[in-house]
Amino acid sequence: MNGSLDIFRMAGAMARNAGARQAMIASNVANADTPGYSARHLRPFSETYGDTANVTARVTRPGHVDAGAAPAGRSDPSDAEPSPDGNTVSIETEMLEAVRAQGEHTRALAIYRHALGVLRTSLGGGR
Amino acid sequence: MTEFSDAMSAAASGMRAQATRLRHVSENIANADTPGYRRKTVSFDAQVVQGRDTGAVETGPVRLDRTALARVHDPAHPLADADGFYDGSNVDLMVEVADAREASRSYEANLKMFDQVRQMSSALMDLLRK
Repeated sequence: MNGSLDIFRMAGAMARNAGARQAMIASNVANADTPGYSARHLRPFSETYGDTANVTARVTRPGHVDAGAAPAGRSDPSDAEPSPDGNTVSIETEMLEAVRAQGEHTRALAIYRHALGVLRTSLGGGR
Repeated sequence: MTEFSDAMSAAASGMRAQATRLRHVSENIANADTPGYRRKTVSFDAQVVQGRDTGAVETGPVRLDRTALARVHDPAHPLADADGFYDGSNVDLMVEVADAREASRSYEANLKMFDQVRQMSSALMDLLRK
């Protein structure tokens, strides 16, 4: 039972990671012509999964610094040669990353749906 | 779920910015032969709301290109001065067409991102329907 709940949690985290990455890619593409903008990317799920060093503090009062709200994007200066206006967004790279994130999201949802089917079958409800 | 709406608003802001740029390009091309016309340019900035980077893009104020106007020799022109010259516009059609192409490509990229995010969120909704 515990194992199957774990798989739901993992699939949910994977889908959430893919969504956050897609949001970051969308803002990179939107800023593809903004002078001085540097492209940002989130770490893929395979790197962040089981990463316990990255535990965020809970925010219980408005005065607290909200460290965990927005996933901090990592800017990568090495990846692309900046264009003359200082922009490092490469549309091709972003498209590739977007397709990869979408595939990961689809995969996570497929895992979730399948696990749901297994859980239903084990409860005797059938599909 | 909020990531998807963030992504969609970022893609929409990109499309809006590129459309604004394309509008100014078409104004410039339409006025390429207007005497004394200076070409309009529009700047892009990353949008920051209350000190937080929203990931969207916004267009800045319209600026006029400060390069010198072309001196056109046509003594028969009503605006011609004593030497037979009048001020044309500083629109370079090749620059405008190149700018329009780039704007349209960026628009397509934003549209593609929008569509992809929409597909992802509808896949998520399909999970609820089961």
